Amino acid sequence: MDLKIRKNGESYIIDVNGEMDLYNSYKLKELVMKMLEKKVERFIINLENVDYIDSSGIGALIYICSTIKKMGFKLVITNIHGSVKKVIELTKLMGYFPISPTIDEALKRMEA
Amino acid sequence: MAQSVKEIKVDENSPLFDKTGMLHKEFPSDFRQIRYFTLLIVQSAPPDIKDVNLLEQQISEIIKNAVKHGNKCDTAKKVRVWYDFSPEHAHLIVEDEGPGFQDLEKWNDFNRKRQAALEGNDFETLSEYVSFRGERADDNDGGNALFAALEYWDGGFVFNSKRNCVSTLKLFPKKRQGIKVSR
Repeated sequence: MDLKIRKNGESYIIDVNGEMDLYNSYKLKELVMKMLEKKVERFIINLENVDYIDSSGIGALIYICSTIKKMGFKLVITNIHGSVKKVIELTKLMGYFPISPTIDEALKRMEA
Repeated sequence: MAQSVKEIKVDENSPLFDKTGMLHKEFPSDFRQIRYFTLLIVQSAPPDIKDVNLLEQQISEIIKNAVKHGNKCDTAKKVRVWYDFSPEHAHLIVEDEGPGFQDLEKWNDFNRKRQAALEGNDFETLSEYVSFRGERADDNDGGNALFAALEYWDGGFVFNSKRNCVSTLKLFPKKRQGIKVSR
């Protein structure tokens, strides 16, 4: 799994590339925690290039989501598709996660 | 009418433990090879039921539970897997050498509370029930695998009485044969 960060206004977009599985998912968690230490407050996690997620990946997203919520900061997860969408649906967390279909819509949601 | 909450069952005599005609493999409890072992099993499934690698993902979770939580990644201990696939079903039995799933009742109770929060769209309460933490869970455990498993394995999800062997069944709808009739 490879993670890239880009900035758009006040928002930081994390592009996740690869598989969010039991061997890799901790990397995303660690990256977000480091960014929080550096006072980042607006996160977009882009899953466009993620075709596989397991319970460790879902667990990482839950941890990130609850940490950012508790701190009163903003997070949107975008481009959920294929098996990633199905696994989140199976865990019935589609309503729990802040989800937007595209990065553009996530950016609009950040401004709201 | 309220839908009954699905739960993990214990039933040594379940017909799902009948291994007749099933293929069999066994692996050492090597955490680094869980996905590789899973692929060795899934490769015998017909393409129709591999649906965007969901079958692989769900089998991988059960093998991970056996390797990590059952056998504590002790490579001297084996995970035994029996499996059988067709376009209409996936049947899996996974056995480890551990002490069994001791937190099963706690998990069912946790899941009932989780379901109640979901049905009430109570996301504040739900946030307390997104991850089940067993006593030996670590930070890399998602704590959510069994929620998805119980939904996915719609033909049954049952443990033996020692709780170190689980049998699961997924049923796939029969596909209609597409025959075009032109008039």
